[in-house]
Amino acid sequence: MNIDTAEALRLDEHSQVSFSQLLVLSGLSDPDLRELVDHGALTPINPSASSWMFTSYCVVVARKAYRLSRDFELDAHAVSILLGFVEKIEALESELHALRAGALAHGTATAKDPVSR
Amino acid sequence: MKYKDYYKILGVARDASADDIKKSYRKLARKYHPDVSKEKNAEENFKEVSEAYETLRDAEKRAAYDQLGSHAAGQEFRPPPDWSQHFGSGSPFDQMGQNAFDDIDLADLLAGLTGGRARGRAGGRAGGREGPIPGPDYEAMVRITLEQAFHGTEIELDLSVPEYDDRGIAHRVPHRIKVRIPKGVTDGQKLRVPGKGGKGTQGGRAGDLYLDIQVQSHPLFRTSGQDLYVDLPLAPWEAVLGTSVELPTPAGAVALKVPAGTRAGQQLRLAGRGLSRPGEKSGDLFAIVAIVVPTVVNERERELFRQLSESSNFDPRAHFKLGAAA
Repeated sequence: MNIDTAEALRLDEHSQVSFSQLLVLSGLSDPDLRELVDHGALTPINPSASSWMFTSYCVVVARKAYRLSRDFELDAHAVSILLGFVEKIEALESELHALRAGALAHGTATAKDPVSR
Repeated sequence: MKYKDYYKILGVARDASADDIKKSYRKLARKYHPDVSKEKNAEENFKEVSEAYETLRDAEKRAAYDQLGSHAAGQEFRPPPDWSQHFGSGSPFDQMGQNAFDDIDLADLLAGLTGGRARGRAGGRAGGREGPIPGPDYEAMVRITLEQAFHGTEIELDLSVPEYDDRGIAHRVPHRIKVRIPKGVTDGQKLRVPGKGGKGTQGGRAGDLYLDIQVQSHPLFRTSGQDLYVDLPLAPWEAVLGTSVELPTPAGAVALKVPAGTRAGQQLRLAGRGLSRPGEKSGDLFAIVAIVVPTVVNERERELFRQLSESSNFDPRAHFKLGAAA
């Protein structure tokens, strides 16, 4: 069977989505998404622009907000607070992971350019 | 159709009150919700809990579920003969033959009682909606090797997804999707595959497929974001005199010059040898030095070490004396 190959797109800081795209992709309602922006859970690239654009990483955050709101029956304010804590935990986990990855290290980095073979 | 014991999943009695069901759901949601839980198999457990709550929180669905009888979890069963007339009246299951239930998932059956489609956008509830209904999004966890993350790869996913017949009844069907994963993805990264979720209905757009990337642990390399770490064992004389070693990298071995006087724990940075993405700054590869001593030495080696010990003024514990004098 011949199956077409689909491209997977990164959701990161290097691509953008519009406000309306973010609504569609996250499942959030317009007022809830605006409230999340008001509470600082999501930040448009240029908050003073007439039409907001977001990094595509905001899709990950907005979908998380939608899930938390739906599954815990929380309002946008509570979701914003929860997202803040989740974000802090993720940052600490990432730092811990980085420390573990370099667990043996306690010297300063010095480098010589390697020669490719 | 396989039976699921929703009461057992929520840890409540069959005659539990709506309040008790809600309380138990909240407790389990806190424990297993994939966005806040670190439990093993959290996502799988939460799906079960969520599915059970979705049915038991709704009086109509709960009554319909109760009338299916009590069976062992995972046991194949069919609804009683008069079930669809009684509970499916006006639903897609009205007057359905007994054999027609065989490839239907219990959750889809119960969701269908309230208007056909079980789940809408982002897994949400869309039952009974008028107008275009977007297809559901699918989510899948993808485990790839570090080499696949480094070079990019193509994967095939086999999903079991609901497909809706003309009456709006969901049937589970296998669905294979081939996806190109771009190079440089990192552990925990989320990817979106547009239009590869479920089909929309009434003119609605197709859903998307979301991939949660997990990079498998590697026997040599550890990852942190786009940076890679590898242990570099050196013999004491290599660390003292300096040397050139062949260092493995995901792109192939490179010759690394180790400077004289290299200490244990020191990190040698190989700029741009980590995970790279087109148009972005690449990660680095760090070689972390470990000084390894031979545990078995021959007479000649023992003699050379003895000579070194006698002629060297090196005191690795000099700072102890400084500390004691302070």
